[in-house]
Amino acid sequence: MVKRFLSLEWKQFSRASYFQKGIAIKILLFFAAAYFSAIAIFFGIGIFFILKKAMPNTDPMVMVNNFLIYWLLFDLVIRFFMQQLPVMNIKPLMTIPIKRETVIHYLLGKTAISFFNFLPLFIFLPFTIVLLVQGYPVVNVLCWFVSVMTLTFCNNFINFLINKNNAYFYSIVSVLAIFIGLEVYQIFKISEPIGVAFNTLFNQPYLVLIPMLLLVALYRINFNDIKKGFYLDGAISKKVETVSTSDLSWLDRFGSIAVFLKNDLRLIWRNARPKQVLMMSFLFLFYGLIFYTQEAYQKMPAFLAFASMFVTGGFLMTFGQLVPSWDSEYYKLLMSQNIPYRKYLESKWYLMVVAVTISFVLSTPYLYFGWKIFGMIAAGALFNIGLNSFITLFGGALNRVPIELNVKAKAFSNTNGFNPTQMLIALPKLGLPMLLFYIPYKLVNFEVGIMVLALSGVLGIVFKNFFLSKIENLYQKGKYKTVAAFAEKN
Amino acid sequence: MITTSNLSKKYNDNLVLNIESLEIPKGQSFGLVGNNGAGKTTYFSLLLDLIQPTTGQIINNDVLVNESEDWKPFTSSFIDESFLIGYLTPEEYFYFVGELRNQNKADVDALLSQFEDFFHGEILNQKKYLRDLSKGNQKKAGIVAALIGNPEVIILDEPFANLDPTTQIRLKQIIKDLAETKGVTVLISSHDLMHVTDVCERIVVLEKGEIIKDLATSKETLKELEAHFAG
Repeated sequence: MVKRFLSLEWKQFSRASYFQKGIAIKILLFFAAAYFSAIAIFFGIGIFFILKKAMPNTDPMVMVNNFLIYWLLFDLVIRFFMQQLPVMNIKPLMTIPIKRETVIHYLLGKTAISFFNFLPLFIFLPFTIVLLVQGYPVVNVLCWFVSVMTLTFCNNFINFLINKNNAYFYSIVSVLAIFIGLEVYQIFKISEPIGVAFNTLFNQPYLVLIPMLLLVALYRINFNDIKKGFYLDGAISKKVETVSTSDLSWLDRFGSIAVFLKNDLRLIWRNARPKQVLMMSFLFLFYGLIFYTQEAYQKMPAFLAFASMFVTGGFLMTFGQLVPSWDSEYYKLLMSQNIPYRKYLESKWYLMVVAVTISFVLSTPYLYFGWKIFGMIAAGALFNIGLNSFITLFGGALNRVPIELNVKAKAFSNTNGFNPTQMLIALPKLGLPMLLFYIPYKLVNFEVGIMVLALSGVLGIVFKNFFLSKIENLYQKGKYKTVAAFAEKN
Repeated sequence: MITTSNLSKKYNDNLVLNIESLEIPKGQSFGLVGNNGAGKTTYFSLLLDLIQPTTGQIINNDVLVNESEDWKPFTSSFIDESFLIGYLTPEEYFYFVGELRNQNKADVDALLSQFEDFFHGEILNQKKYLRDLSKGNQKKAGIVAALIGNPEVIILDEPFANLDPTTQIRLKQIIKDLAETKGVTVLISSHDLMHVTDVCERIVVLEKGEIIKDLATSKETLKELEAHFAG
């Protein structure tokens, strides 16, 4: 039976239209996966020696065990946001004679084949080998390795539970919140006993049974939970959300584009994928911290200009680059309704302007790094509004990959809304601010660099209509192709 | 109102639609029937400029459809679920379409109140997103949205499919009213010969992309159609 399921899955995968094109994307993804795997392997090999050098008096193994809990938590959080859980098409399976148990075992087994379960392998396997080479007791090391991998799978199933069942989600989150709170305020350091526990686990190899029992228990809980809900309205099929309506009439002051703005806000608020993107773009706000705090970059102001553009440009770049794709599910409606293309594009532009403005306001704490840095952020924001927004919309015209709105993006298996043209378009977005700043900076001075960067944005705003017309023509030209491409998924 | 001339659509070498000429006068209720792959949806998609004609053209109320966007203000349509915005509630969707067609909230509410029967209490105030409604209810919402803003041309692809019997009967009345009393040109396609003959004054049969029958509906039409498709 499982064999047949696997063949179904394979057909679903290999016959999907996106699989049949875009070899370039696949090669790129392969390289990305290889890159991260290589980093993980080097980290796995290196961590032992790094720790040994940093703290020669402590056994690196003890240190690793002390910090293991943080890794596991991190793993869980990343999984929660990134790991796509299988929504199996159970409808056709419910009426044919297959045991429910078989389907559920298969479904749970499938979650095991996830990139997130293999990544730790890349770190811990080399680490284990290093330990063995370093002469740690073989049985202890191997049992410890098995424990860690088992705990990884525990995370896999915990994630399944909290994703499908709100009760588990809230209880686990509140337990975590309490312990993190206690830890931060140094009332009770839960990480210490946990560290001791992991060390005991290492010293007493037979204790490997504990994580294993935990895994079995979690599997059973998941199994029963799914079994209870093995009906069309149950856990493995889609959830029906409760409606959250809010009055958005305050947006009416934006005039004729208000109707689109309202729609876009609802789009972002009510769908999993745009929400994920919004969260990502929030993280961009902290991008500056990487650059401004490093002494090395202070002498390379071109990189500072680059970072400053990123601080306010997160939403613009993550959301903006997929502009027509966000509306792919109902693109035919937009194309046949009484909508001038211009208004549609203009509303997207305003949305980006609003986002950049909000990001800019949120970036005021960067004043801490001084007026020069903040001036750069302000210039970067102007560049984003005036030029970057148009470049992004321009790139969108070349983007014809449909997006499933209410599905989370999967790490390394989702190519939705991503194509090589996007990569090419990204180059001017990243390079232009650096050039615009660096050339006048080299020729004159820092202040002039900032002014030129800001001025470029102002010029973009002045020539807004010109740019929008050009972009509109491009969208019009590609209309039939876009309609056809977006219809493919439906 | 709608003039089609020398229209053809080819996919690779496959001719899916070939209409030499077809004239649909204003206020006519026009029915398109044919088996799967006959070209019904292709024709409607060409009418809405969603696909590009290989040859020929459609003129909708003096507007050349594939060259100007000016047909959009007076033409409305519901072809399939991709005309719905899944993450909106039906009300939000109606107001959205209303705003696009220059109707304020009160106008839309007034229109919706005429369709309370048709909605059968399953569309409005349900606190559900469109994507969570059943297929039939989605269709109801889509059809009514196509009536917002006093369009002169309404295009509905398979409007009767997925609807319950009560709603089918109500929909027939709505379509008849539109053509007879309001002078709206209504184009529908259907697999259900009975419904089409009930509703449409004129029925065109498509087969493999060609018009093979063009009938003014009379008592004998249903029999004639049944005989045609049976044999």
